[in-house]
Amino acid sequence: MDLLEYQAKELFREVGIPVLPSQRIDNARDLKGLQIPYPVVIKSQVRAGGRGRAGGVRFAENTIDAIAAARTIFNLAILGEYPQVLLAEAKYNADREFYLAVVLDYAQRRPVLLGSPQGGINVEAVMEHLQQVVVDQEFSPFYARRLALKMGVKGELIASVSEIIEKMYHLFVQKDLELVEINPLGISPTGEVMALDGKITANDAALGRHPDLALVGAKKDTQQDQKSLSWSQAASASNDCKLNWLNREGNIGILCNGTGLMMATLDLLYEAGAKPANCLILGTNAEWDATPHPGIEQLELSLEQVSEAKGVKVVLVNILGGATFCEKVTGVIAAYLQRKAGRTLNGDDGRHIEDQKKRPPRRDRRLAFPSNIPQFVVRIVGGNSQAESVKDSYGEASEREQLAAMPVHWEDNLDLAIAQTVSLARSTKNL
Amino acid sequence: MLLTPESKVIIQGITEPLGSLYAAQMKAYGTNIVAGISAGHSGQFVHGIPVFDLVEQALPAVGAVDSTIIFVQPYSALDAALEAIAAGIKQIILTTIGIPPLDMVCLLRKAEATKTIVLGPGSAGIIIPGKLLLGTHESEFYTPGHIGIISRSGKPLTGEVALALTKAGLGQSIGVSLGNDAIVGASFVQWLQFLAEDKHTKAIVWVGQTGGGGEEAAAEYIAKAVDKPVVVYIAGRHTPVDKVLGDAGAIIVSQLSGPVTYSGTASRKIAAFEQAKIPVAERPSQIPDLVKKALKK
Repeated sequence: MDLLEYQAKELFREVGIPVLPSQRIDNARDLKGLQIPYPVVIKSQVRAGGRGRAGGVRFAENTIDAIAAARTIFNLAILGEYPQVLLAEAKYNADREFYLAVVLDYAQRRPVLLGSPQGGINVEAVMEHLQQVVVDQEFSPFYARRLALKMGVKGELIASVSEIIEKMYHLFVQKDLELVEINPLGISPTGEVMALDGKITANDAALGRHPDLALVGAKKDTQQDQKSLSWSQAASASNDCKLNWLNREGNIGILCNGTGLMMATLDLLYEAGAKPANCLILGTNAEWDATPHPGIEQLELSLEQVSEAKGVKVVLVNILGGATFCEKVTGVIAAYLQRKAGRTLNGDDGRHIEDQKKRPPRRDRRLAFPSNIPQFVVRIVGGNSQAESVKDSYGEASEREQLAAMPVHWEDNLDLAIAQTVSLARSTKNL
Repeated sequence: MLLTPESKVIIQGITEPLGSLYAAQMKAYGTNIVAGISAGHSGQFVHGIPVFDLVEQALPAVGAVDSTIIFVQPYSALDAALEAIAAGIKQIILTTIGIPPLDMVCLLRKAEATKTIVLGPGSAGIIIPGKLLLGTHESEFYTPGHIGIISRSGKPLTGEVALALTKAGLGQSIGVSLGNDAIVGASFVQWLQFLAEDKHTKAIVWVGQTGGGGEEAAAEYIAKAVDKPVVVYIAGRHTPVDKVLGDAGAIIVSQLSGPVTYSGTASRKIAAFEQAKIPVAERPSQIPDLVKKALKK
């Protein structure tokens, strides 16, 4: 989760990293009551990079300038993102600008300190002079001094720059971050240091133990999130069912367990020229095996979301697991379809007159559900060896048998299940 | 790695729902589970397995322990693993998913210093079909044989691959799940070396997915040092990604320049293996064919 600059700077202030006086601007009119002396810098608060080059940072000498700048910036989308707030900040006279960051390096599986004596918006210059120090063992301030020296910092500045790096590292560990970045760190002619911009990315898997950060994230525009998939989140939120959108033009909904199996399923569908619409990943760990009740309702709700999403003509269920897990998922699907079919087929509860009108001819009853329910291709593999005992212990028809009696397409072979799904998606008329 | 049916195993978090469930399955498979750990439950028995409050409390009663399988909540996993290391256990399987990455950094510093083997987070553990189950693998998809599976994916996709091999008459010598979080404890090279030297393994299948890194090093090692046939399957060629989880440089470039360049995508991993001239399957059902072809050479 990315924090905005003003949120990052609040954290900087808490740990003693020097930042300029600034004020959050929710509305251009707020600038009339600005407490900071002019000249000021007005900055767009978006998460996208390249803000300065895109025109999201403007200087203002007086209130009229500032209001005009704020109006312009509020109406300027940067990589598709409009700012909800701006930050007005005092102007700073930097003699030099450094780049500093602490980042979690996934390849080395260690935090890395990064620094460049050429900070600022020129990415190439930053990268060309970028120095790295891997924090291989428990952190100690010498790691920070090592980076400062590699950057070519000399004299009294070594102490002040490494002190900033040290504070960044502590913040990184204390708040479970992925990234803390100061770009630029301004150096005044007198050798004073100042964090002029800040970027912080929190680790989603750790938000549960940082309520303060989670609160910041809750304010975030949720619409933005829905558009993109976040597989890392899906993997870590193993306890939940996670619905992801792929393509609003698609016509296939997918229910799968495990991120990897979902990826494999999507690959097969895309390569067959199909258009997946959404996917629901069930917890990779078989929580369902162990917890009989919680979650079932949620799964049924999510199943409803998958299959009743606009444009979905076929739902592909691809589940591989143990006996209890498979049985449970089968049961939920059967119950869902029974509820839907019962309601629309009988249409006798008086609440579904619309559905009644759409009722298919009687001869189709056994073969197809009412046209407002998508076709189901079901592949549930696992627990076959134990199916008999499960059936015995229930003392009645197993969930599998119940579902088998419904007009769903069963297929144990993955390639065939994909082929079936694709052909149904092509042939089924729009709902 | 000590992987005999006699090796002693404990389960941390045995009173958790999943701990209890898989304790029963592992025991039924013949795994020698000598103790379960769950603070506040000492003196109880779970599926006939004695429960202790602390790992170190179990040792005098059951003797030295070879492996622990951890089923605790994500934020308690680091502590459980450190508890096991402090008690001298050298093999740790973390089934938990969603452990904060900085906890893993902390654990790995300790594990490397003590030469402790860590599988996971999100590991289904190790299965030696017909002999040993250390973890949560679905044993019904596996059958004894000579193909070794190393998986960087979760349990379902690993099971899918095992099932495809089993159906094609290719049994497995071992299934190792390295875990599917962005940071996992296992050294890929170490496991490749282990299977390359294992006399029961005639060919190796590598299963991966988009996310995380390290496959480049694995591909390089296979080309250089593994004489046995290796077949690769990586899921996620078409998976959209919105997050950079690579090396520091790649992460910074993406931060600075806006549009995301992702390292660790399936395509990049596949390219690394192809460059090393290692056959890559396009779909799970193609794996057995490629294995058979490679074995004939």
